[in-house]
Amino acid sequence: MKTLITRGIQAVMVAVLIGAATFAMMRSLPGDAAYRIAAGRYGYDNVNTAAADAVREELGLGGPALPAFLNWLGDLARLDFGTSLVTGNPVIAEIGHQLGASLALAAVAVLLSLLIGPPLGILAGLRPGGVLDRALLIVSTGLKAVPQFLMALILILVLSVQLKLLPAAGHGEARHFILPALALALGLAAVNARIARDAMARVGAMPYYAFAQWKGLSRRQTLMRHGLRNVSVPLLTYLGLQFVTLVEGVVVVEAVFGWPGIGHALVHAIFSRDVPMVQGTALVLGLSFVVINAVIDLVTQRIDPRRAA
Amino acid sequence: MTDAVAIPRPAGQAVRLAGATLVATVLAFALIGPMIVPGDPYAQSLMQALGAPDATAPLGHDHLGRSIFHRLAHALRLSPVIAIAAVLTAGGAGLVLGTLAAARGGWIDRILTILADALLALPGLLLVLIVLAIVPGTALGFWAGLSLVLWVEFFRLTRAATRDTLASPAVEASRLLGFGPVYVFRTHIWPEIAPMMLTAAAFGTATAIMAIAALGFVHVGMRAPTPELGLMMVELLPYWREAPLALLSPVVATFVLLLGLTLLAGSRET
Amino acid sequence: MTLLRAENITVSEGDTPILHPVSLHLDPGEPLVVLGETGSGKSLLAQAIMGTLPKDLSSKGRVVLGERLLDAARPAGFRPLWGREMAVLAQEPWLSLDPLMRARAQVSEAHRLVRGLGAAEARAQAQNDLARLGLGGAEDRYPHELSGGMAQRVAIAAARAGGARIVIADEPTKGLDAARRDEVADLLLAELAQGGGLLVITHDLALARRIGGRIVILRDGKVVEAGVTRSVMAAPAKDYSRELIAADPETWTARRKPPAGAAVLTATGLAAERGGNRLFSEISFDLCEGRILGVTGPSGCGKSTLGDVVLGLVRPVAGRVERAAGLPPTAFQKLYQDPVAAFPRHRTLGRTLADVARRHGQTQDRINALMPRLGLAPVLLNRRPGAVSGGELQRLALLRLLLVRPRFIFADEPTSRLDPITQRQVISLLTETVEREGCGLMLVSHEAALVGATADHVLSLGAEGSHTEMNGPIVAGALR
Repeated sequence: MKTLITRGIQAVMVAVLIGAATFAMMRSLPGDAAYRIAAGRYGYDNVNTAAADAVREELGLGGPALPAFLNWLGDLARLDFGTSLVTGNPVIAEIGHQLGASLALAAVAVLLSLLIGPPLGILAGLRPGGVLDRALLIVSTGLKAVPQFLMALILILVLSVQLKLLPAAGHGEARHFILPALALALGLAAVNARIARDAMARVGAMPYYAFAQWKGLSRRQTLMRHGLRNVSVPLLTYLGLQFVTLVEGVVVVEAVFGWPGIGHALVHAIFSRDVPMVQGTALVLGLSFVVINAVIDLVTQRIDPRRAA
Repeated sequence: MTDAVAIPRPAGQAVRLAGATLVATVLAFALIGPMIVPGDPYAQSLMQALGAPDATAPLGHDHLGRSIFHRLAHALRLSPVIAIAAVLTAGGAGLVLGTLAAARGGWIDRILTILADALLALPGLLLVLIVLAIVPGTALGFWAGLSLVLWVEFFRLTRAATRDTLASPAVEASRLLGFGPVYVFRTHIWPEIAPMMLTAAAFGTATAIMAIAALGFVHVGMRAPTPELGLMMVELLPYWREAPLALLSPVVATFVLLLGLTLLAGSRET
Repeated sequence: MTLLRAENITVSEGDTPILHPVSLHLDPGEPLVVLGETGSGKSLLAQAIMGTLPKDLSSKGRVVLGERLLDAARPAGFRPLWGREMAVLAQEPWLSLDPLMRARAQVSEAHRLVRGLGAAEARAQAQNDLARLGLGGAEDRYPHELSGGMAQRVAIAAARAGGARIVIADEPTKGLDAARRDEVADLLLAELAQGGGLLVITHDLALARRIGGRIVILRDGKVVEAGVTRSVMAAPAKDYSRELIAADPETWTARRKPPAGAAVLTATGLAAERGGNRLFSEISFDLCEGRILGVTGPSGCGKSTLGDVVLGLVRPVAGRVERAAGLPPTAFQKLYQDPVAAFPRHRTLGRTLADVARRHGQTQDRINALMPRLGLAPVLLNRRPGAVSGGELQRLALLRLLLVRPRFIFADEPTSRLDPITQRQVISLLTETVEREGCGLMLVSHEAALVGATADHVLSLGAEGSHTEMNGPIVAGALR
């Protein structure tokens, strides 16, 4: 219960922060912003002063800052995100349109990273200092130093341009998933593996881990019954925090591969100063973080009753 | 909540030294390179577009005939300068606010923690992008945006370490012996957080450089014709077949710099 | 018939021997105690017999277990015995239970996976075991919901579920107070009564005495003396054994009460709470220069809190502490249970002491003069707290206090982490200092014998917040 309250406060703060940031962004638009927006919406031929004024009024661009800001937050609280300055469609509809593609990409990437990272990390953590542990340390350190866009670039050059195995851009088929998902997954897996390795090494050094074996359990039984469960708690907690990295990766990787998702839309929206879109998208991303972490809190509290206290 | 504990592992001094060496090599290239072979990163010469390396351009020419060598050296000064400025600002703010929150507790602590937790939920790149859209001047925008993103980590580390230290018997003993807050900070708190600060600073610098390059790569960061790592890569990507060295130069330099910083940070995951 | 015979067990680190050949045997129904101080090699001996030595240590010798012959140099051969032949109890019971598993499951999994019982049968058996150990109703608790004594009982049930007849307990009472210690000893003896073997490794003389049977005393990796526990304890043959056994507070002679000086503090009607629970109430006493007030009681009774209340570190719910007039704030000082944690860990001890001296207008000469008085070598000043032994560090902590010229010292379990001989040295230095410096001492310890022999007045706190008086009229004004 306490967890949910804390997460609730976090969600409200996230919304306020995004509201403040986008309000500042709106206010800092250059003087002819209303004109430009109106032009974007109705076409250059149809713009007149009245249309620009209407836009100015609608967005609260004029007038004193404080009431305008409160008004702005009020709209946010009513989940009224307004309409896109570029397309004129409601922001909600635009986001709903793009979210699916992003979620699919993110899910594939996370799944892929979980298949690679934690199993390797746990195997390495069972024998700290062993060959696998040292090899994994080197590989994961190297991978961590490669930002996602660089990973995407390297994958495109090697798999697409040189070997012509996979398409570098496009969307819709399963093979289009491979490069962007891999570009995201390798970085995530590098860090997952380290977290799993550290957690396993720590659990393996705990007195209860030795004691389980002294009771007569085999290594395998000990790992299955006392290892994995104890490793899962820090790993899950970490995965929740890693969501931010995932979102950043999605933003960049979608832009690189022209993937029609929410990240792609966000970059476009910022580039064209489409503030309502930026606000809506940022809010969806920020609140997703809070929701995912709230779920993880509840799950880890179920696994580890000490956390509920 | 969100207290995924940093896992301290004895960072091998050898590893840190290797990292420092890599970083120093890259920075030495950026600072000393143009002194040895003088040249202008902006000078175009379409005659030499995608030309092979020569005496005035040791790494060849880009699609506009500009010297890759000088553009790279320039780019390798720009990003680290912004990154270090942001890390210094963020580190200072995080240190002061973290110590304050831990020492005072109460409302100050609660408000700062709520703020930090909320920032934690937002992707850093997103915040940087928004700040870039507000602040005039891209370099200034990066500095402001990255500082805003990076202080949270310094704050959380400082707050956690200071809180633990202040609750320790060692501090209680020092206070009973008549020492004041300055002595307690200097003797107990600072030695605990200093090594963490170094690690967090190296990670923060790497994060900042990555962010600048990533946004440059997707055309929303530094603007052409400024030489910037990500921007150089995306500009040279179409000419990969004709001039692989031109593209590989910024790729390798970025990787070496980031690897060096990662190694310098030692092993710590948050 | 001998259950287990260990012959010429040695342990070495590289080429350096750290345990010289030791042989021992375990008979049914007769416990064996291995007694030794830190660094004596007693735990290594146990680990060599169980095949659980750390990888960087190598072992030689052989272990005969019934029909089986095992080579100590090949620890892998011991694994099949764990749970089935040997039950091993680890040092801290809380830490030896999986924090994410309920008590019953930790026992029943051994019945199922080691003895091969069916799931329902294993569960019922585990239920039985726990009930037999007086844990009926606690089966569904997680380890953090168990007390230290309960956790130890769950650990015993879990360790023995596989059917092992031999129990090896390595420091089974570490961190437990006197009452819990006796409880664990009795529990181990009860298990033994069913015809098994029991090997207890400990540094605790009281536990050794209670376990009885036979004893082996180790020092620096060598056997000093071996024999029947009761006779060795009554008449040790070797110098070291004599010294060790004489260090047991049970055998100390009571201190002669020195003349009382001026009062340093008066406490009236003190009461304190922790987490909403009343720890103690209505405690009144006063303390004079040169006098020692002992406070004792089981874990959690609030004895350390009482000291912190007197120092002003914890606010009492009721009552007040009045200090003698004219004392500076630093006149009240504290000696900590874990001296390592009480020093700044990144500074050399010399620097820390110099800081304190400077703060209080003293010179290095004063430190230099105090060092030999407390039996400390000057070289220690160049080290950091982590690189000095517990006994030395506790004496350095005392030295640090003396630089302040305290009128009152609260010593919070100052020797509970020290070996017996060191404990005796530190306590006698502490009492000497109190007399020489003329300050009041409040000595908190869970060891009633230690407090009884050292203190001029004893305050005994009960577990349920009640406090009783020991040896005469003590509380409320008795120290005047």
